[in-house]
Amino acid sequence: MRNRGIIFYIILFILVVLAQGLLFDQIEPGWGIHIMIYPMFILLLPFDTKPIYLMLYAFLLGLAVDTFTNSFGLHTSSALVLAYFRPQLYALLESRDGYDVGKIATFSDMKRSWFFRAYGFGLLIHHLFFFTLEMFKFSDFFFIIQKTLLSVIASFFMILFIQLIFLNRAEKS
Amino acid sequence: MRNLITFFQRFRVFLVFAFLQVIALSMYFSFLNYPNARFLTTTNGITSVFMEMRFSITQHFHLEQANMKLQEENIQLRRQLTMSFIPLQSGLYKIDDTLYSQQYTYLPAAVINSTFDKENNYLTINAGHYQGVKEGMGVFNEDGIVGIIFSVSDHYSLVKSLLTSKINLDVLLPNGSFGLLKWDGRDPTLAQVTGIANDIKIKKGDLVVSRGSKLRFPKNYPVGKIHSFHRVNGNSLWDINIKLAVDFRKITHVYIIKNLLDTEQEKLEQQAQ
Repeated sequence: MRNRGIIFYIILFILVVLAQGLLFDQIEPGWGIHIMIYPMFILLLPFDTKPIYLMLYAFLLGLAVDTFTNSFGLHTSSALVLAYFRPQLYALLESRDGYDVGKIATFSDMKRSWFFRAYGFGLLIHHLFFFTLEMFKFSDFFFIIQKTLLSVIASFFMILFIQLIFLNRAEKS
Repeated sequence: MRNLITFFQRFRVFLVFAFLQVIALSMYFSFLNYPNARFLTTTNGITSVFMEMRFSITQHFHLEQANMKLQEENIQLRRQLTMSFIPLQSGLYKIDDTLYSQQYTYLPAAVINSTFDKENNYLTINAGHYQGVKEGMGVFNEDGIVGIIFSVSDHYSLVKSLLTSKINLDVLLPNGSFGLLKWDGRDPTLAQVTGIANDIKIKKGDLVVSRGSKLRFPKNYPVGKIHSFHRVNGNSLWDINIKLAVDFRKITHVYIIKNLLDTEQEKLEQQAQ
């Protein structure tokens, strides 16, 4: 999937927010699982996005998700953390040739090992911060860890599933 | 001066991060206590349009169940009507009293958005300022107490359900002792009651009801039943788990309680202070 510029991202933004707010926020299977797919938007932004813009987009995304889920800034704060750590994370995982600026970080475009590590660690950072802030009690430490790990797995597979269906057109260049 | 500028340039990214993070966190922590920015909830204009669209589809899923419950409630109410009683001493007396005047009226509303497995769970209902809803009013359904109105917009309001960490509802046990209802964020069917001294005898299955303070709920409205209890180490209180009367996983319709005498009681209580 080639980088298609601003229209693509505006549509993606709206769809991600609506999907999170109207659908995934209502799926509550228990054990503290909370499926969050919107971090995908931050990870999918072009590789050459400047860190400051990355954070501004994350801020807007978080605010939009917050209005749908009545969490008043919880998602905003966690999205910001993910956006702040994304450049470091991507730098760590960068191959010798660097990133192809024309591509975006979808499952079909990137190597499998890269996708698993980038999304796995990205979601882990985001979810750990989210649940720590949400519970805000050290007595619930193990419950936070349980929620984080189970939710990371659930979110990861949901994002993978969405990308396989909707963002799977690998174009021949 | 030039040092300062290079400093800012070097830490520019972190400074922007810190600035935005402070906004987000202050919003989060202030909002948990005081709902001061209504546009950031599901009751705002844009969000509620989408919620309403989804509701127009999903409302039919639980219709059968909702009808059954309504019918059950109707039967209960019908049993209390005078027409279902046989007069035993007809003609002997005539009821013409002014002993009772109405204190509570009720508004109906449908739940258009709700969660039950988050740390703080809210319900969005389709009755708002125009229908006469005010912040702090009590909300219940046919099973028991649901929560308290937290924030109101023109056509919608946000209900803080019993499944929030800071609900602190006054509840009454059958022997007359009262405690505070709390929720620990684990199980959507169980809540906790604190503040009951452990020399008070309680047993499993005891009904826990509302205490009727703070003008929100009539007294003796069901909240739940005692599920389990044990002593807290080094403390003279019971640690009580109660099974909530309301099943928050399938809540579709609620009623809002309007206390007609609330200004009177408020005035009186203010004078006393």
